[in-house]
Amino acid sequence: MSAVIEDAGAIGAVETIVEPRSAEEIADIVRKCEGDKVGLAPLGAARTLSQIRRTPTPIGVSLRRTANIVAYEPEDMTVVAQAGLTIGDLNATLATAGQRLPVDPRDPGATSLGSLIAAAHAGPLRLSEGTVRDLLIGIQFVGHGGRIVRAGGRVVKNVAGYDLMKVLTGSFGTLGIVTEATFKVRPIPENYRLAVATFDAVDAAFEAASTLHDQVPLIHLEVTSPGVSAAIGASDRFVVLAGFAGIRSELEYQSNRIASVLGPSVEMFDGARALEPYGQLRDLDFPDGIAARMAVLPNELARCAREASAEFVAHVGSGIAELWMPAADPRGAARARAVAHSARGHLRIVSAPASIRSQLEFFDHPNPGALKLMQRLKSTFDPAGVFNPGCFVGAL
Amino acid sequence: MDGNGTSRRIVIDADLARELRRIVGDDAIVSRASELKVYECDGWTIEKSAPDLLVMPHSTEEVSAVLRALHRRGTPFVPRGAGTGLSGGALPLAPVMICTSKMNRILSIDLANRRVEVQSGVVNLHVTNAVKANRYFYPPDPSSQMACTIGGNIAENSGGPHTLKYGVTTNHVLGLEVVLPDGEVVVLGGPVDERCGYDLVGAVVGSEGTCGMVTAATLRLMREPEGHRTILATFADVEDATAAVSKIIASGMIPGAIEMMDRLILKAVEAAFHVGFSPDAGAILIVEIDGLEVGLDERAAAAIELMKACGVSEAKLARDEAERALLWKARKRAFGAVGRLAPNYATQDGVVPRTRLPDILRVINAVSERHGLAIGNVFHAGDGNIHPIVLYDERVPGHVQHAIEAGREILTACVEMGGSLTGEHGIGVEKMGEMPLLFAPDDLIAMTELRRVFDPDERSNPFKVIPTPGACVEVTSPRRQVPL
Repeated sequence: MSAVIEDAGAIGAVETIVEPRSAEEIADIVRKCEGDKVGLAPLGAARTLSQIRRTPTPIGVSLRRTANIVAYEPEDMTVVAQAGLTIGDLNATLATAGQRLPVDPRDPGATSLGSLIAAAHAGPLRLSEGTVRDLLIGIQFVGHGGRIVRAGGRVVKNVAGYDLMKVLTGSFGTLGIVTEATFKVRPIPENYRLAVATFDAVDAAFEAASTLHDQVPLIHLEVTSPGVSAAIGASDRFVVLAGFAGIRSELEYQSNRIASVLGPSVEMFDGARALEPYGQLRDLDFPDGIAARMAVLPNELARCAREASAEFVAHVGSGIAELWMPAADPRGAARARAVAHSARGHLRIVSAPASIRSQLEFFDHPNPGALKLMQRLKSTFDPAGVFNPGCFVGAL
Repeated sequence: MDGNGTSRRIVIDADLARELRRIVGDDAIVSRASELKVYECDGWTIEKSAPDLLVMPHSTEEVSAVLRALHRRGTPFVPRGAGTGLSGGALPLAPVMICTSKMNRILSIDLANRRVEVQSGVVNLHVTNAVKANRYFYPPDPSSQMACTIGGNIAENSGGPHTLKYGVTTNHVLGLEVVLPDGEVVVLGGPVDERCGYDLVGAVVGSEGTCGMVTAATLRLMREPEGHRTILATFADVEDATAAVSKIIASGMIPGAIEMMDRLILKAVEAAFHVGFSPDAGAILIVEIDGLEVGLDERAAAAIELMKACGVSEAKLARDEAERALLWKARKRAFGAVGRLAPNYATQDGVVPRTRLPDILRVINAVSERHGLAIGNVFHAGDGNIHPIVLYDERVPGHVQHAIEAGREILTACVEMGGSLTGEHGIGVEKMGEMPLLFAPDDLIAMTELRRVFDPDERSNPFKVIPTPGACVEVTSPRRQVPL
């Protein structure tokens, strides 16, 4: 029997939280909700949905009691884990074998694997390691009718059957509840080093970063706005942060090339002194504002970051920028979205204070043809309309 | 006259043929049986079935018009790229075949953003050829890359040797233009790195042509590594070679590729290409280390050290680009060289967890002895993706059946070891019957539901991937009845 926590309204995403202990219990809950026409949503630490839902869903399915590693074979470089496990806990285990799941959303210690998949969270490492969609090789989820569905498998290369992993990734709990996932893992790079350089002008910072991207293989590459730079204790100007790694000879060679591109202001950090600013960059947030994620053509990122009138962390090379705008001006997000559209991209609001949510459109608009397919997908996978309803693109 | 006893319930009428001819023009339609024979199978040659009609549209608009005409009549169709697939994905189990051979233009090259936009009939290697002068490449590199098309790669989610480090097709496709089976043209994904809404691109890649016709794709390019060191490592037997693979992977090193060929394959390849493989070699590995030039010698030396611990008898570096090219030519054309060993062969594509490679090779040996058929091994060792090649002679009574059963036994063993039926060739018709080994009924139903989002009538490449009740999924003879 699932534990039930009354009065979960405080977190804003759901009214009641249940804490099932198995996929079978989740299946029972799904069937009950479908029968009663009651909405439900999966929850990790409940941070994703509590930042974007305008009205709470009646039932929140917490996965924190299903948080085990199911199988880990270091030599196969694959791991199977339950969805309630956090990235931080998973990586603590993988680190004992010199490996990691190379995804780094904000606060990995509080981000569950289910949340990682459902919201397609990503961080600076996307430049070199890809995102969760590239690492997820198998999945188990509870779908309509309480059926437990598996797709993919436990091997790193596999094209048997349809890729339901991709369909569930970034679906925000609207197609089912992910209960277990299998990932490819990677070795922790040797000798991580971080180069940090300060620029007075935004264009000069982006130009230097884009030259770096062209010339040197990097692990991650960011440009930060002055407010962000100050928050991570780097400077009060625009800052370029370039992470790289390798054996000694490679490290020295790259350091020299990076220094020649970034100029005299560059500082290099190793070990814990590199990991600290990297962690601050990854975890940075301004919780009082409107946070958004913009995806644009990479060579338009500088212009878009500039024109968005926001504090930003721009992931150079990927064409992704995280933006923070003042909550006092809810229309700022719409203006930033128009900027993204001008660079063939889109923008999603990641979090906003509850008081202004009714004035915001959290998700961007897919084109009409794609949206029609998405509506069909939603009605096929969730015929009763109970999985996190009314929250996703096109109010799906 | 296809002479294979195929019975078809749907026969296209003269009116449809006229309409399709009007849409694509006389130069882009094939209706004569003798000419259609070329299209009766792909690289999976155990089953054959010629289409009634082949159309080769010149544009997305023509594909759309063709599909609208078929939709009005409820006529199924089969998309085809270059027909190099190995699982029967392009086997015409529908009367109309639509081939992308005339849609072979690279639409745009955007080096600043590392993107290319191509029509689906563009040949895989042509993408890299178009950008390599600027030191970019398109990573998926199947052995057939000189002929296979991007559309076919998207259908099968193709891999290749270098996907060990750089990922398979689905990791490099950002956007798609798809003509749905009712003729509607939709654009999925786009040129940017994140999706807006559900990841429909990810759903279509690897769907084996069952979601409609992909007409164009936006692909992500990568920077060429600064340099390579390509090691040819010779071992006394495959056991030692697979142990070396495990050692390299476990060390945290990620080579660009680790490929293995066994004694049987080496003999055929040596006869064809004169690479200089040792005549006593029981197995060889091609290990390619890539990255910054400055670190390559040290990294290659480290890899060789690890292999020494596993009994490598000789490990030598390719001296120059010509030697490297010869090694890769030998590897990529190994399948063709096998033609010297037997009149017919069937290639399997199972996957096992990397640590189980020695176990699956023992199974393959036992299977080979049990069925009295030689089986060669050439495969992507770094991924655990095996390609046993079962040699047979279709003129010898019983050989075909033994070849089919041998393949099935190997795949069953792969699944039992926690692996998969296919790493990069697709399920097609070949492995449909084995899908229940891997997936429960609810899994297959969910997959069918996904397919019907795009193709509610299941007219796009019917009778593939998912075994359906009522359809003949058992491969019992090379000339089985086609379920139409």
